[in-house]
Amino acid sequence: MLLVLSEEHKEHLGFLTQVDSAVVGEFGRIAVEFLRKGTNPKIYEGAARKLNVSSDVIQHGVEGLTYLLTEGSKLMISEIDFQDSVLVLGFSEELNKLLLQLYLDNRKEIRSILGELAPKLPSYHSLEWRLDVQLASRSLRQQIKPAVTIKLHLDQNGDQTTKILQTDPATLLHLIQQLEQALGEMKTNHCRRIVRNIK
Amino acid sequence: MELSEYVQSGLQILADSGCFSPSAYTVLLQTAFQSLLNAQADQVALDHPVLKHIDPTVLKHCHAAAATCILEAGKHKADKSAISTCLEDCKFDRERIEQFCTEYQKNKDTLELILGSIGRCPLHITDVSWRLEYQIKTSQLHKTYRPAYLVTLNVENSDSRSHPDVSFSCTMEQLQDLVGKLKDAAKSLERASQM
Repeated sequence: MLLVLSEEHKEHLGFLTQVDSAVVGEFGRIAVEFLRKGTNPKIYEGAARKLNVSSDVIQHGVEGLTYLLTEGSKLMISEIDFQDSVLVLGFSEELNKLLLQLYLDNRKEIRSILGELAPKLPSYHSLEWRLDVQLASRSLRQQIKPAVTIKLHLDQNGDQTTKILQTDPATLLHLIQQLEQALGEMKTNHCRRIVRNIK
Repeated sequence: MELSEYVQSGLQILADSGCFSPSAYTVLLQTAFQSLLNAQADQVALDHPVLKHIDPTVLKHCHAAAATCILEAGKHKADKSAISTCLEDCKFDRERIEQFCTEYQKNKDTLELILGSIGRCPLHITDVSWRLEYQIKTSQLHKTYRPAYLVTLNVENSDSRSHPDVSFSCTMEQLQDLVGKLKDAAKSLERASQM
């Protein structure tokens, strides 16, 4: 699968031919840093002054590079496809190699950042448990009522929430049985076949 | 078993065969138990023909006294001798004490169950359901290809009302971690029960 680049995009990336490879490498580093932490316009101004161009040009160059990297990572295109996509820009051999290296070096990290953008439910973080025995209450004395108290830690969008839950021994065994069945499902032929064939 | 003045005086009236004939006593006793144990009994059958001739205020007093006595006995898991002593102090004759104790014995387990279920507790897990999915792509990321589980715990409030379920997603490793920890809890329960 090839990346389709718009005319505007090609124009923005065109700036990269006017600077040496060290600068392109630097732009690549800035692009990934922006993906990790968000954009910082001051960096554009600094670079613009050093290279004697307007900060818009720098911004477009970095953004173009970012788009190239994120689209490639999102679609998980192969080396060859990436090279072919970039060929259409008419860059030098050296620049093409540099861009490819930038893509391959950062692909995994960019994919994990993109993965965090998907809609999500709270996810499991960890679980603590405690065994309690209720001995008496206001309405009934002399009891022996075992219970398991559970503290469930969940993550949602970076926030950790905690839920305190309780269950009785019979339900606990039932939960274990049901969830073990769930785990077993991945090993069935049906699931194995699907995992093997969807690529 | 400590009973208040009000309850004791009510029981004393109940003990009096001048006020309550044997059949009236039997009916009131049964009514008292039913009103405590039967959830549908909002219309307490105090309008039984046998009780017709007794003053309604007196009836309510005695019914409340009997019910309180039953609850106190249940709360403290009183044995026959404790109940007998208490009723003797309220001037019950041997026969009426026997009747009370027999009726109590019949309903003791249900009573303890109901008393035991009153109280606060954290959200109680009643069931679990799960879903296994294989993720293929998202709008931001294609070819993700990983399995994920969605687990929903059905929970109930302390007054048996249902509460929105607790749902969360997890990977296979996380689910294994979860199940492992639950199994530890179960093992420790088993060990504790053997002590």
